[in-house]
Amino acid sequence: MQFDAEKEIGKVLSGLRAAQGEIGKTFYRWRQVALEYAGDGVEPLDVGLRAAEVFGKDVGKQLLPRLNWLKGEAAFLLNLGRALANLWQVDGGVATAEKGEKPTEVFIECTRDPWPTWAKEFDVPMQEVALTREKMLRSVLEDVSVFFNIPLDIEVEKAIPRGEGMWRIRLFKKEE
Amino acid sequence: MAKQLFEWDYSSYPGGKTYPHLFKPIQIGNLIVPNRIKYAATEDNLNGRDGFVTDAGVAYMRERAKGVVGGLCFMQGVYMDEKRQGQGYVGQAACWDDKFVPGLKRIADAIHEEKAVAGFQLMDCGRVGAVDVEYGHGPSAVPQRLRIFRPVKEMTKDEIKEMIQQHVDAARRGIEAGFDIMEISGIVGYLVSNFISSYTNRRTDEYGGDIRGRMRAVVEIIQGVKAVCGSDVPLGIRLCAEELLDDVRGNTPEESMETYKIAEEAGVDYISVTLGWQESIYPVISRDIPMGNWIHLAKRAKAHVKVPVQMAYRLFRPDLPNKAIGAGELDQWEMCRSMIADPLMPKKVLEGKEDEIRHCVACNLCLARLFRDAPMTCYINPVCAHETNSEFADPQPAEEKKEIMVVGAGPAGLECAYMAAKRGHEVHVYDKRDNIGGTLNEARKAPYGDDELWTCVEYQQKMCELAGVTFHLGTEVNEDLISDELPDAVVLATGPVYPALPGGPHANGVNLLDVMSGNAQVGEKVVIWGNRKPGIGCALYLAKQGKKVTLVGREKTAGFDVNPSFKWRYMIYLRQNGVKAYNDCEIETITDEGIIIRTFDGYRIPVACDTIVNSDRAANEALKKVVQSEGIELFVIGDALVPRNLSSAVHDGYRIGMRI
Repeated sequence: MQFDAEKEIGKVLSGLRAAQGEIGKTFYRWRQVALEYAGDGVEPLDVGLRAAEVFGKDVGKQLLPRLNWLKGEAAFLLNLGRALANLWQVDGGVATAEKGEKPTEVFIECTRDPWPTWAKEFDVPMQEVALTREKMLRSVLEDVSVFFNIPLDIEVEKAIPRGEGMWRIRLFKKEE
Repeated sequence: MAKQLFEWDYSSYPGGKTYPHLFKPIQIGNLIVPNRIKYAATEDNLNGRDGFVTDAGVAYMRERAKGVVGGLCFMQGVYMDEKRQGQGYVGQAACWDDKFVPGLKRIADAIHEEKAVAGFQLMDCGRVGAVDVEYGHGPSAVPQRLRIFRPVKEMTKDEIKEMIQQHVDAARRGIEAGFDIMEISGIVGYLVSNFISSYTNRRTDEYGGDIRGRMRAVVEIIQGVKAVCGSDVPLGIRLCAEELLDDVRGNTPEESMETYKIAEEAGVDYISVTLGWQESIYPVISRDIPMGNWIHLAKRAKAHVKVPVQMAYRLFRPDLPNKAIGAGELDQWEMCRSMIADPLMPKKVLEGKEDEIRHCVACNLCLARLFRDAPMTCYINPVCAHETNSEFADPQPAEEKKEIMVVGAGPAGLECAYMAAKRGHEVHVYDKRDNIGGTLNEARKAPYGDDELWTCVEYQQKMCELAGVTFHLGTEVNEDLISDELPDAVVLATGPVYPALPGGPHANGVNLLDVMSGNAQVGEKVVIWGNRKPGIGCALYLAKQGKKVTLVGREKTAGFDVNPSFKWRYMIYLRQNGVKAYNDCEIETITDEGIIIRTFDGYRIPVACDTIVNSDRAANEALKKVVQSEGIELFVIGDALVPRNLSSAVHDGYRIGMRI
């Protein structure tokens, strides 16, 4: 077959990396626009958190048709954890989700996160990167919790933008 | 004292003997209905955007009333709130004010003029409502899974009381309009079902909690409406026997049966058994579900309640409900889509004319249209929703009798042939095949219920026979034949042509029709070129044989030509059968090992295969110039004009047949 696989895969990967690079840059360009329009007296962190909430809510709505309760609570939580890990994957990060010791918890670990690098390019504080990620994930859970009638939350144990080398997030069912 | 509104005697009709259980009376409340047939309330989007009844809506209902031959004929469910949160369809009839009564009376009168029992349905669409306003309403503000539906606001207790009163007021208006029987809709995700389901009712007050709590609003509706109906107007309710919402923690089947018992205790005179929600992930009524698949749910309902039990859901053939009624598993046969496809369906059953029934093919185009704010349309019945248009509904005899040559005995040609012949033309149908049906002969072999498509040809064959169409099968039409016959008009219904495969020839390049008819050698790794319906049908046909199939085509999505209410079924089956699809692609190169695909944005992907099936179609230009050069009137229809689907073939054929 007249086909140079290495060349074709290289072309696809190159396109993918370029598209991924634009994700964070586009976000921070819009952040800059929002701050300019917001004017003095507005905390950049507040703008970032509000954006994270909007993103998270929308991602949560996208997840509703893709999640189900057919295999019970533990499988549901693991699938949700994988979906949250995948948010890093599509951006060009490396993340996984694994079952915790309890059936009502899942741990999401991200060992490579492109967002701090993008943030540095736009002089965004690392504190904001950490808090907006946490806010976004919590906002994802809002509609998912109501829709599936299960109270969910996250707890950030480690965060790359805090200099802790990796993200480790506990996704769990809150005690009722 | 029970009363019967109209006298019917079915004893002299063949259907009365063949299906004795369908044509025997039943008492519902204090009303005696002469048979077991019901046209169930079905939205049609034929009313004004303001909710007023239109001429088109009345004509549509009159046809269905003729069809039930004395049975129950329900108009579509009405919404009852001025805020229009309960309105689920842009053309849904309204009943939130007395000003709607005269229009509704037109429908009741039309049904009565056909000596049928007029049914009125109360339907607040709940979380799938608010089609024209910003927010819907429901017992709890559970987010929408499908973004096409509006966000839901939780109802206050006052709003619940108001909603119950709206049902009561609307019922009074329905009775004033002259309707004989009342029904509450509690199906597929509408408001009543929202209150009942653990998925959508998370309330902690008296309208939530366990199944009795979740039924409380429904019980109050039943009691309020029952008080208005009195003993003269029976009241029924449509309720889910299974919600099929286990993926989102909906009710159990046991809870659903409990709702039946509670409704009966509250005073309903019958229960209509339904299943599934619009949000459910399971198919219920598409043709991949076998006929009679759900009858066990009616039987289960019968075991839980004493009032009569009705059911629709894939009961398109009269033998199924006749048997079930005889066995005590069902009391009344409901129909929706089968009477959209043929409004006179049960009448034809009664008259022993079953071979004249135009059967529904369970494609759900009707639903797809309604959900997209379009008037009701039937895939297979070109007259549907045109009942008020005499050109469609009652084509007049042709002013001048013509000799017409129809080239091609597929669905387009047959439809055109019988219609033209009915109007007085002399019609000759030619086909180079020895049999009728055209490419549907092959298409019917695709899995997941596509054999039901053949009912279209069986109907057309009978219609041609009745209209006196002459067939010349095994005869290929060519220039000489046209010159010899010199007809007044030629209708080219020759079907499509299959252009050469892009990317060059392949040693084992075969045609779709040869594959489906078993006349082609097909290897184990197959690429199908063309990602429309024929390609999908062939892909599934081969994948079911264990072959590794890849679907490649130019359309942005596979099944571009399949309506969305059925397309999702195909997508699931393609996935389940391991069919890989590359859409928005060209075949760049064909080699001995397979093909190289080029995506729309220039990426190249190799796919190994030993067989390439060509399903890509193009318009058929053959014979056009010949006909035109002879100065003969020319019509081109169906896939010969533009390759599309069965529906387009039928509609093309009917429209040309009624105008030629």
